Amino acid sequence: MITMMSVFKILMPMLYLVVWGTYIWLFYTDHPTARRLCTRFAMITVIMHTICTASRGIILDRLPMGAPAEFFCALALAMLATYLVIEIRIKAKNTGFLVTGLSFLFVFVGSAFSTTSPEVSPFLNDPGFAAHAVLVLFAYTAMSLSFLFAMLYLILNRQLMRHQFGLLFRRSPSLEVLERMSVGAVKMGVPLLFASLCLGHLWMYDLADRMDSEMAVMLSPWDPKILISWVILLGYSVGLLGNRFLGWRGKRMNIMAVVAFFTVVSAMGLVYHFFPSFHNFKSNQPISALSGFPETAAQMLALNEEAGR
Amino acid sequence: MIGPTSLHVRSINHKNAPTEVREKAHLDPERAAELMDALGGHLADENHVPSESEHGCISVIPVSTCNRTEIYLEVIEGTDADELLRRGLAEVGADADLFFSEHATSLQGLDAVRHLYSVSAGLESMMLGEPQISAQLKDAYRLARSHHEPGPGLMRAFQGAFRAGKRVRTETRISVGAVSVAFAAVELARKFFDKLCDHRAVLVGAGETGGLAARHFLQHNIGNLTVVNRSLGNAETLADTLRAERKAGLDKKAGKNSGGLLAPAPDPQGKCGKISVRPWELLTEALAEADVILSTTGATEPVILPDMVEAAVARRKGKPLFILDIAVPRDVHPDVANIGNIFTFGLDDLDGIIQGNLAARAGQLPHAQGIIEDELKEFQRWLEEIDIRPTVAEFKAYLEDLKDKQVGFVRKKQSDEVAAAVDRSLQQFIKKVLGRSVSTLKNAQTKEERERDLETLRRIFAPEDRD
Repeated sequence: MITMMSVFKILMPMLYLVVWGTYIWLFYTDHPTARRLCTRFAMITVIMHTICTASRGIILDRLPMGAPAEFFCALALAMLATYLVIEIRIKAKNTGFLVTGLSFLFVFVGSAFSTTSPEVSPFLNDPGFAAHAVLVLFAYTAMSLSFLFAMLYLILNRQLMRHQFGLLFRRSPSLEVLERMSVGAVKMGVPLLFASLCLGHLWMYDLADRMDSEMAVMLSPWDPKILISWVILLGYSVGLLGNRFLGWRGKRMNIMAVVAFFTVVSAMGLVYHFFPSFHNFKSNQPISALSGFPETAAQMLALNEEAGR
Repeated sequence: MIGPTSLHVRSINHKNAPTEVREKAHLDPERAAELMDALGGHLADENHVPSESEHGCISVIPVSTCNRTEIYLEVIEGTDADELLRRGLAEVGADADLFFSEHATSLQGLDAVRHLYSVSAGLESMMLGEPQISAQLKDAYRLARSHHEPGPGLMRAFQGAFRAGKRVRTETRISVGAVSVAFAAVELARKFFDKLCDHRAVLVGAGETGGLAARHFLQHNIGNLTVVNRSLGNAETLADTLRAERKAGLDKKAGKNSGGLLAPAPDPQGKCGKISVRPWELLTEALAEADVILSTTGATEPVILPDMVEAAVARRKGKPLFILDIAVPRDVHPDVANIGNIFTFGLDDLDGIIQGNLAARAGQLPHAQGIIEDELKEFQRWLEEIDIRPTVAEFKAYLEDLKDKQVGFVRKKQSDEVAAAVDRSLQQFIKKVLGRSVSTLKNAQTKEERERDLETLRRIFAPEDRD
């Protein structure tokens, strides 16, 4: 098992590096061979990484997203896979060097700091939670890509406004395509976020049924993190509806995408800072001495099992 | 069967001759045909093998475009190609001296072939990498073939040139990027809009420049084109011409003819390229509905004013409006550039794009030249093998003859199955013997060694020595 994981640890960054290299080659030269190869290499990498992640999951008997290093690897996979879907749908390859570069960075960090069996939450063994976590990851990755494409739109828009006809002008897709990519990413992210929130609620109620009433009260749908996620979902949905029915287009739409992303990041940061509750999955956190309540869901589950005995 | 041949080219082109010289040197298709008849003049025999004319010429292919007139010749080795060409040109009434003046260059052998490959790839063109030359070469080759079968050398050289041209265009970016004002306008528009078919353009002015720009937008399947002009009659005339040209272009495309410069991209659903006309008074309304404005009037004062554009912007829900002013003096008031979501570009911007594209094309030259050298090596290999082919063919015929006799003998003594098996076995044997012989001949270290080997083979297996 250790040998296999070690091989993956070396293989994955190499594959991502090759993909990134091909996309850079495409961006700088627009060479037909690069154009032909880049998507294929990205597909192969996604397939290989999925197999690798699944194997790791089977070997560890849990979702391999518990440790930060594992999370970075999963983020790289989500980013590349989401980008690939958008690229194939929109048929625009020249923005790939940015996304694949970030994916490479994440997988490199993830592989460099990975351990064979980090201490993680027992929740990661639960299929319901695993599905919820994967959906959340893909949803927020899609939102991040929307931000990235919107930024590219605004940069190209600025260059055109200033009559600068450099490399970005020659290689980047049209403003219209960049906008479609940004909106397309949101179109992917919104249903994924909705599904993940619904699944999260179902899983939470299922978990509450398995705990005593005092503990179950901790699992509230009014948790600030859940509420803020619903607000984010609502915000992006309004944006999509405006784009579809009210003709929100162009620079305004892309500024909104950038602002929305910064709002999401800031709101999430604030909520996680001020309301550290059951969305924390580290298994070795101390129980709060002041409140007497467990700080993490893992601790909550462990206490519940103890109480049952 | 023809003996060893040599290839020659005489070229008058934009690099060594001014326009007036190129005009004089131009050979129209009729005169080119006459030259081919005068020099070649011999149709291929029933086996499609060309024969030399009485003066030693095997074939001639004239290529004449606006930037170059070149005459490719294949003659029997030792023939004075220059003298032959001079006589031929004089015979058809062309200015022969021009082709032997300081404005003409002469190349022969592999240099001539390299030149042809470079021409085909657009490396010798005025606009580096331009694609029309490839079609023009094909037309010249087709015309030559309709008169006489080109000699093996010229045929191979032209086929190689077409292949080299295609490779250079597909494997490099030498033909990518606009190098004309009208095309640069389209390229710029495509930085805003992905599919022009979903968008509407307004052409302000119905002059020659506007017509050319409109043709390029129609070639790239702009969805709607509205012509607005002070004189409605002129606008309608231009719209009718554009409609007729587009229809002819689409018909031509459907018939798989060689699409001309402005042949439109395929539009199977017929959604694109709708052309309409509006009177000058409705210009503001037209601006509000359009995504692309092409302004090309001859007006001395700006005709697209800030208040008109502001009124249009108010109705556009934030959609960008792309205004291209290619008129001198300018049609668009400078203050229009300060209005939000309006992008105005002028001739200087288009020139900047063209210069950038030309520089990018020049950057592709080493790669393109590498491809041409690759293809030249292929041609050289073929050239090296050409002298062994007749001898190998004789050797093969001799072996086939022997085999047939042996199989006939077996058939008399044995069953048909046995004879067929022997036939197959001997066929394999011949294949191996021939393969070995050809590879030995090809691998000869020197030309002399190869000639000696060939001579030995001929002496042993020459047809007259067969029993």
